[in-house]
Amino acid sequence: MIAKKVLLVGNFGVGKTSLIRRFVLNEFSEDYISTIGVRVSKKVVSYQNETIKLMIWDVAGTNGDEKIPKAYFLGAHAAMFVFDLSREETYLTIDKNLKMVRDLSGLKDITIVGNKKDLLSATEIDNVIQKVSVDIDLITSAKEGDYVEDAFMKLTAQALK
Amino acid sequence: MKKTPVDSTKDNRFELLRELLLAEDRDKFEALSKEVILREKLKNNVSPLVDEKILDLREKFPEYFGDTITQTIKVQIRDSQDEVVEALYPIMGKLVKKAIVSEITKLTESVNKTVKEKFSIQEILKRFIRGKKNDADIVLQEVFEPIIEEVFVIEKDSGLLSGSYSRGNIADKDMVSGMLTAIKSFAEDAFSKEGQDLEDIKFETFQLSIQNFKSIYIAIACSGVLNASFKEELSDRIHNLAEIILRDRSFLSEEERLNTLIVKELIEA
Repeated sequence: MIAKKVLLVGNFGVGKTSLIRRFVLNEFSEDYISTIGVRVSKKVVSYQNETIKLMIWDVAGTNGDEKIPKAYFLGAHAAMFVFDLSREETYLTIDKNLKMVRDLSGLKDITIVGNKKDLLSATEIDNVIQKVSVDIDLITSAKEGDYVEDAFMKLTAQALK
Repeated sequence: MKKTPVDSTKDNRFELLRELLLAEDRDKFEALSKEVILREKLKNNVSPLVDEKILDLREKFPEYFGDTITQTIKVQIRDSQDEVVEALYPIMGKLVKKAIVSEITKLTESVNKTVKEKFSIQEILKRFIRGKKNDADIVLQEVFEPIIEEVFVIEKDSGLLSGSYSRGNIADKDMVSGMLTAIKSFAEDAFSKEGQDLEDIKFETFQLSIQNFKSIYIAIACSGVLNASFKEELSDRIHNLAEIILRDRSFLSEEERLNTLIVKELIEA
């Protein structure tokens, strides 16, 4: 079985942990994330007739202000940047944050996900898409379960590239 | 006409005299009698009520007075800590002493058995020929034999598990490897000054030793007493294992093959 390390990054409270909780059942206590700034979860997925073991590193907050060990980003095969569609501050500096993740992980492509779509109307979502300076890959709702699976499948595809 | 009794006059006079002399006493007697009767009546009425109250108190004593008593005891204990300690000390001492004696007895038996076995002429000759270990090491190693409980071969950067060995069942090994790598990174980032690596994590009953290499690290959890010679021997074996893995990196992508190699190089060696 192929094993891949994937990262979930983004500001505090954007719903990274909720997305993982939707996708994964097997996980460590959430206490770790507030203690050492990361929590590791595991999910075995099937992708194009292949079984892949995803080790998902949920890294607490990525807006540059937090002191996160750089080593958390090393050796990652893919990364997902999550922002909160309903909170502007989580995507205003997205360029800077993405650059930081790219620099630390050495990854070129990062899956960009706007979460909490359940809190906005279709028009409001369109407005946010216009405002965000990069292309958004998926609009999800961890609460409703919308497109969560798709987001992780995209991440898996990226990890296998 | 009816005849008057002979002594009637006399009797009447006597009665009159008695009334005159004892009138006050009679009044007192009657008052006393009334009081006794009243008390008797009161007793008959009140007794069941008192019995009922006593029964109620007996049943609900903790409810009525529990808090007050607890509070009082607490205050008393707080105010007389020395006395409490003095009172408990002999009892605690006896319990601790009993436990220690029991453990020492077991230890003595174990040491005696080992000494008997290891200090036979045959064994002394064997050791003389082999050299290296001292006598204390041998006895300690026999009594608290170090055991390799878990082995993890982990990719240094990604924290992905390449191979493992486990004596028992532990939590998901992949997740343990990931979190161990995260904790290691966290500790190194927080405490290390010159890019040093975390090498040991000690628990109460076992120790996690970490040997770092360029692209992998090997974590070994051991129980028992890890004396210098065991550590040295284990370190040699870990280096041999790492050398084999790093020379043939295909081991890192073939978990089963690597697991067999770990058993061969570390457990059976």
